[in-house]
Amino acid sequence: MKQLAYNIFRKIKRYLHLYRVFLSQNLKEDMIYRSNFITLAVMDIGFVSVSVILFKIIFTHVTSIAGWTFHQSVILIGSVGIIREMAYLTFRRGFLELGNHIRKGTFDTFMVRPMAPNIHLAFRHISISESFGEAITGVVLVIYGILHLNNWTWVSIPLYIIFLLNSLFVYYGFSLLINSIVFWVIKTQELNTIVYFFMETSRYPGDIYRGVGKFIFTFIIPIGIIATVPASVLTGRTSWSSALIALFVGISFLTTGILVWRKSIEHYSSASG
Amino acid sequence: MSTSIQVKNLSKTYEYFKKEAGLTGSLKSLFWREKLYNEALKGISFKIDEGELIGFLGPNGAGKTTTLKILSGILYPTSGEAVVLGYVPWKRSPEYQRQFSIVMGQKNQLWWDLPAQESFQLNKEIYEIDTKTYRNNLDELIELFEIKDILDIPVRKLSMGQRMKCELSAALLHSPRVLFLDEPTIGLDIISQEKIRHYLSEYNKIKKTTVLLTSHYMRDVERLCGRVIVINNGIIVYDGSVQDLMNTYGKHKIIRLRFSKEYTENGLAKYGEILERDGLCVVLKTGKEDIAASTARILNELPVEDLSVEEIEIEEVIKKIFTG
Repeated sequence: MKQLAYNIFRKIKRYLHLYRVFLSQNLKEDMIYRSNFITLAVMDIGFVSVSVILFKIIFTHVTSIAGWTFHQSVILIGSVGIIREMAYLTFRRGFLELGNHIRKGTFDTFMVRPMAPNIHLAFRHISISESFGEAITGVVLVIYGILHLNNWTWVSIPLYIIFLLNSLFVYYGFSLLINSIVFWVIKTQELNTIVYFFMETSRYPGDIYRGVGKFIFTFIIPIGIIATVPASVLTGRTSWSSALIALFVGISFLTTGILVWRKSIEHYSSASG
Repeated sequence: MSTSIQVKNLSKTYEYFKKEAGLTGSLKSLFWREKLYNEALKGISFKIDEGELIGFLGPNGAGKTTTLKILSGILYPTSGEAVVLGYVPWKRSPEYQRQFSIVMGQKNQLWWDLPAQESFQLNKEIYEIDTKTYRNNLDELIELFEIKDILDIPVRKLSMGQRMKCELSAALLHSPRVLFLDEPTIGLDIISQEKIRHYLSEYNKIKKTTVLLTSHYMRDVERLCGRVIVINNGIIVYDGSVQDLMNTYGKHKIIRLRFSKEYTENGLAKYGEILERDGLCVVLKTGKEDIAASTARILNELPVEDLSVEEIEIEEVIKKIFTG
């Protein structure tokens, strides 16, 4: 038991170190295409503003959606942006590049290094710029929302962060499951469109789903959890039961994602030549 | 000497789907697909000792690359066994991965937009090479491959030869005990090819690393390897020394000559079998044992301006094995 704990600790330490090294490597590469960075940031800020304005318009007619006030909804939208950037800082772009790697056979490299292929793939393509604008607006929106809340405590900040991480696990597990299909079909464009809409839809509060819909969007396609649970935690709307369910979904998505991915990798047929 | 690589009855069958051309074909394949099988390896077996430098020869699609990919854990075999350094490759245990390297001539493993130095540094971290060993190995490789001046240039700006030298250095930083090379000289000019061969043989001599090298440039194998495995259609057709291969199948030598003036008489056949005849130039084939006598007679009796004697190329030798 002690040995196992030590091994896990050592592994985490190693991967954190590798993350740092890969991050600086990616930054050096990003510098070469600096103009990209600004364009993307401006585009992101534009997109987020559009969704805030949309909500604003809706809220001029109603006072709440599924129990969410305007300021709580702002936090919800902001959280989506933060989770997106967290994903880009870890695994997201790796999956976008996966199809290319498989088609060209460059995925070979990830199979032969003493590193888990999924982690190597993720670290190889860490991207700060991709949704940086969205993250900045996200943080601004969350802070703006918080300042307009009246039932808010400092304790909710660390809890918020924990549940953001949990959502990242859900997102990662979901991406792993979807992208495992690539070892059979080679093309990933469509697969990542699925993942994209998965995140797009997560900006609506999970409370809008009822009955079977609620079950499906909590356990099978967990878009009702991703942004809703962290935002609920921060705004003091959450119950212990829904928080526990979210943690359960997070852990099970991550573990099944990794197991299915590992099995699928055996199907990698490389490109000849 | 201990065994480094042991392969028994290894088979690999690729599955793929038949697709008819055109949009109709694509639509049809959505509902009904015919499964096709391609047997890339049909139960091959061989054994390689530690420190050997072995050539893997064969035409395109023979199964060379598939074998290397299975031995490095990239592909799962359909059936059969393989043990490299005591590990089953496709279990991909990190302990095994730290002890081998694979370099593929057509696939770039370095960071394209960054100088090679950066990729080296990254490999140091991935393979957990301690700083002192890293420095020593790097210095050695820089000297061997003569890459001091190109370390700070982005990889995309290097020539193919320079890039291959950097690829090899990156692969050797962690002092692998086994090195798989898939077509390391492909696409290089003759001089770069010669250089890469020189480096490889030097490295193998110094480090005693087991090297398994595929190529379809016969010079690679002739020049580097004592032993050669010839594979065709997923079956091993020859496994033995390059010398024996040449002795068994290459009992002849080639004489190339150029006449100083027009020579149209038909008596040439008595000096050897005529392979080519084009104006002033003639290519003859004669037995190895009477090569000296033949050349002497040719020089005496014919108006020769230039003459050279060559070995039969391994290409020819292999063609002979394949055609029986």
